[in-house]
Parts: sequence; C-alpha cells; structure tokens
Amino acid sequence: MPESDARHLSFKLVYYGPAQSGKTTNLFRLHDQLAPELKGELMTMETKDDRTLFFDLLPLGFRAPSGLLIKFRLFTVPGQVAHDGTRKAVLSRADGVVFVADADRAQETNNGESFQSLAANCARVGLDFEHLPMVVQFNKCDLPNAVPEAEIRERWSAAPWPLVFAVALNGQGIESTFELLLRAVYRNFGEKLELLAQHGLDENAFVAGALGKAA
Amino acid sequence: MSLGFDREWQLDELLDEASREKIGPALRELLRGDFALTDGAGQALWGQPSADARREPLILELEAVGYLLSSTAPAAALSAARDLLLTLLRAQIRFKMASTLHLEAVAEDFESLKREHARLSESEARYKTLSAELESRVKKQVDQLEERQQMLYEAEKLASVGQLAAGMAHEINNPLGFVRSNLSTFEKYVGKFAEMKTASGPAAESWRVLDLDFILEDSIDLLHDSAKGMERIARIVADLKAFSNVDRASEEYADLNNCLHEAVRMLETQTPAGIGFHFDLLPLPAIVCLPGHINQLFFNILRNAVLAIKDAGRPGEVRISSEADDEGIHIRIHDTGVGMSQEQIEHAFEPFYTTRPVGAGVGLGLATARNVVQAHSGRISLDSQPDVGTTVTLFFPTPP
Repeated sequence: MPESDARHLSFKLVYYGPAQSGKTTNLFRLHDQLAPELKGELMTMETKDDRTLFFDLLPLGFRAPSGLLIKFRLFTVPGQVAHDGTRKAVLSRADGVVFVADADRAQETNNGESFQSLAANCARVGLDFEHLPMVVQFNKCDLPNAVPEAEIRERWSAAPWPLVFAVALNGQGIESTFELLLRAVYRNFGEKLELLAQHGLDENAFVAGALGKAA
Repeated sequence: MSLGFDREWQLDELLDEASREKIGPALRELLRGDFALTDGAGQALWGQPSADARREPLILELEAVGYLLSSTAPAAALSAARDLLLTLLRAQIRFKMASTLHLEAVAEDFESLKREHARLSESEARYKTLSAELESRVKKQVDQLEERQQMLYEAEKLASVGQLAAGMAHEINNPLGFVRSNLSTFEKYVGKFAEMKTASGPAAESWRVLDLDFILEDSIDLLHDSAKGMERIARIVADLKAFSNVDRASEEYADLNNCLHEAVRMLETQTPAGIGFHFDLLPLPAIVCLPGHINQLFFNILRNAVLAIKDAGRPGEVRISSEADDEGIHIRIHDTGVGMSQEQIEHAFEPFYTTRPVGAGVGLGLATARNVVQAHSGRISLDSQPDVGTTVTLFFPTPP
C-alpha cells in the first residue's frame, strides 16, 4: 500500500529488468518529457561505467483538487545479477512495477531470468505478484536483431500485463509505459484510497496530473 | 517500514548535531550575523528564526524538508547559501540512502545465505542417510552373494560326490553280484564234499588224517561270514544309490503320516527293548512326492534317533509329531538320546561324516535326508543338546 498521511500520498514505482535494458534511460526520458506540477531532480547513483550500483530515483508529484499532495517516487533497480540483495531491497514496498526487457534476441535468456527473479523477489518481499500493477516494456525495438513485435505479442498473449514497445534512447514509448502503469495503479488503489470520492480524482485526472497534462 | 532506505529523510537526520556545529558558524559568517535553520514544520534546528527574516525553502525531492532564514543577508547571498547547503544535503542524502540500502541488501543477502545453508545442511543430511542406507544394502547383498556362492559350492560338491557314489555303486554291484552267486554255489559244492564223510575205505582214513570234519565245519562258517560281509557291502551300495538318487521313482500323492508309520514298522524289528515310539500325528493333506525317497528319509532319521538312544545306554522314547498349516507340513522327530555337540551339528549333513566306528556307519544318512528334503523344496534343521536329545524338524511346502 502507498504511504499516506492526511496531506500526502506517496506511490513507489519500480523499474525492474535485466542489466543494461534501459531502466535508468527510462527515468532520464521521463524527467525530460514530463511536466507535472512538481518534479524533483533525478538522483542517480551510477558507477563510472554507467552501471547502476544502488538505484536511481525520480520524484514527481501533483496536488489533487482536495489539496492532497500525490507523490510518485520512481526507482530503478541495479540489473546486474550479482546485486540481487540490493534489487530485493529496492523492490520491497513497491506499489507498481515496470519490467524493462531488452528486445535484442541475444538477451532473451537474460530477460527470462530477470523476470523469474522479479516473481521470486516479489514473493520474498511480500508483494502479491498476481495483483501487482505492472507493465512490460520491450526496449531497444529499433535494433536490427530485435525480436519482431508480432512474435513477442504472440509469446506474451496469455499474460495479463500490457506490453509496450519502446526505444528509450529517443523517448519512444516511454511516456505511454508510464501512463499504462499509472492507470493500473489507479485501478488497483484508487477505490481503496477513495481518490474519487474524497479527493475528486478520476483515473484520467490522476494520469493527467502525473504526466503534467491538462485533463 | 519507516526505516527503509526509501523513506522521506528529515533534515535533522541529514544534518546531525556534529555537522550542524561545523556548518552553522560558517553560514552565520556568510549570512552576515543572523541565520536560522528550521525543519519542514518550522521547528528550529539552528538559531532563532525571527519574524521578519528572509526565508528560502530547502527542496530535495518535491517538498521543502526545511528552511534557511536570515534577517541580515541580502537575497542573493541567502539563495547562494541555500544552493550551497542543498549541494551538501544532496551529497548527504545520497550517502545515507546508499548506505541504508547497502545494509538492507547485506541483511537480505545474509538471510538468503542462511536459507541456502539450511537447505544444503538438510540435503547433506539426506545424502548421509542415503549413503548409509546404500552401504548397508550393498553389504547385505554382498553377504547374500557370498552365501549363495557357498551354497552353490556345496551343491556342486554334493553333486560330484553323488556322481562318484553312483559310479561306485554301479561298479561295485557287478562284482558283488557274481561273488554272492559264487558263494552260494560254493556252499552247495561244500555240501557235496560232505557226502564223502560217510564213505569207507582209504578215503575214510584220509578224511580222519586230514581232519576234514573241522575244515568242512569251518568252511561253512567262513562262507556264512563272507555272505554276511557281502550283505553289508550290498547295504552300503544300496545307501549310496539312494543318496545319489540312482533309482528314480515316480511321483505320487502320499500321506506323510503313512510314510512315517511305514518307516517305523521297518525299524521296529531291529529296535532293542526299552526304546518306544510315540506318535502325535494330526491329519495332513496328501502331497505329491517320491514316497520311496520319503520312506528312506524318515527311516534314516528314525534310525539315527534309535541309535542315539541306544548310545545313551538307557531307555528312551522317539516322539514323532506332524501338523499342517497354510504354508505346508511340519514334522518333528525328537529323541531322548545322547544328543550332538555343536561341531557335530555343523557337519551332520555332510556326506560321509559319521561319529560311528569304521564299518558301522557310512555317514550318508542325513546327507541323503537333506537331498530328499531339498528335492521336495522343503527344509530340514537340527536342534540338539548333548545328553538331552535331538530334534529334527522337517518342513514340506504345500501348493497354495
């Protein structure tokens, strides 16, 4: 559940995925593309070879008509296999997850392993994987040896999560990934938190507020 | 969960007492005398915020975690000081978050190592049990193999002994036949000589001189002794033949109780006084067997029992009991004779093993008995105590 008090509501959203699939790049593009009412600086903790060692954090926020401050804290996990303990700690208390897969055909095994580690870690940190709001993004779709969209759709047809095909480097699909996650988060928590009844926020207003676009 | 690395850090956590002591005087100098620091709720962390002071928010994420206030500093100086302080705070929060996360990750890694360790210990224990189990199973099988090998060796030994016995019996029977026949013919001839006794003349004189009366009498004794010797040889040969199953009989349905009675009848004639037979027989199902061999078997065992009582030199009794259950027929033959030592029991079933003087026993009685029992898929065992008696237990399976 999101952390909340009378005036604040804070959602923790985690970008998960195999090493170098573009999780940090997602946050960079969101920082550039979005213009919500409140936008913090992107805090990155990269080592000198551009690999995330701990996490990256992008804070976003807007105020609901009721005056409630709704905050989104977007985290990335370190993708490298060795950092599983860190990954688990970052994942804990998440309210939504974007799984950033690498569309490169050579990375299929890494995607699979990472996805399994996501499911396993969810169980370990007490998240209900079945009902966790989630979006699956296939990044680097512009690569010459990327797996074709039709093939990926076919393979994931039985999965309940929305798929987005993205090119994080030029920003394609980044905002729509985030939007789909916001909608999933609203549908999961909106009613419990009485966002509409108490704070006058419907799903579209919620999404628009977070993206910084007029509803 | 408020202590997670991803909590919203408060200003007093980021700037502890010691670092405030360091930066406070520096900031006061920069801000020309008056400066105060409050947290997000307006609580003073340094100095006394005055009502007319300029105020700059300290925003790390979205909201102000605190405020920098000064009534003496110009606006530009205050905002410059704020930027300086923010740079400091950002470095601090990065360090705090990273170190807290690192602790969480290490704790988590430690937990998973412990889980892994527990799992490994458990599987190690499982493998240990398994290996012990395997070891004992291998040992059992090796023992079994050794036992089988020993049995096979014994069986082969028995088979070759049997073959030898059969060959010998055959070879001895032929000369035995003609020697016995010749002896009886010779006895007739001696009779003819005897007629000369009544003759007169010089022959009568010679008869007397040569003491032919004695020779004639002794000849007949010698011939009778020889005939007895031949009979003994014939009996030994017959035993050998029975042992080697030379005379294969045909299978029949038979009641083993009848066989026991028959064997006792055969034996009773030669049983000395003071030795009695006691029957305790329950009805038995008829089984398919070789009755001739079974009779031989019972005869051998019963004869041993009688001899054992005779050896003890006191009156005794042979108790014969039988009963049937679902598995088969159980027969017990118990005597109150001399009994057997442990060593004797061990060798009792070996062919040609005997405790009797040479000529009195061949040592084939129990060996033959065992062969017969095994030919009927049965079991035979001995239980004995010296000076108390011996019990032979027999078992014949009945088809279900």
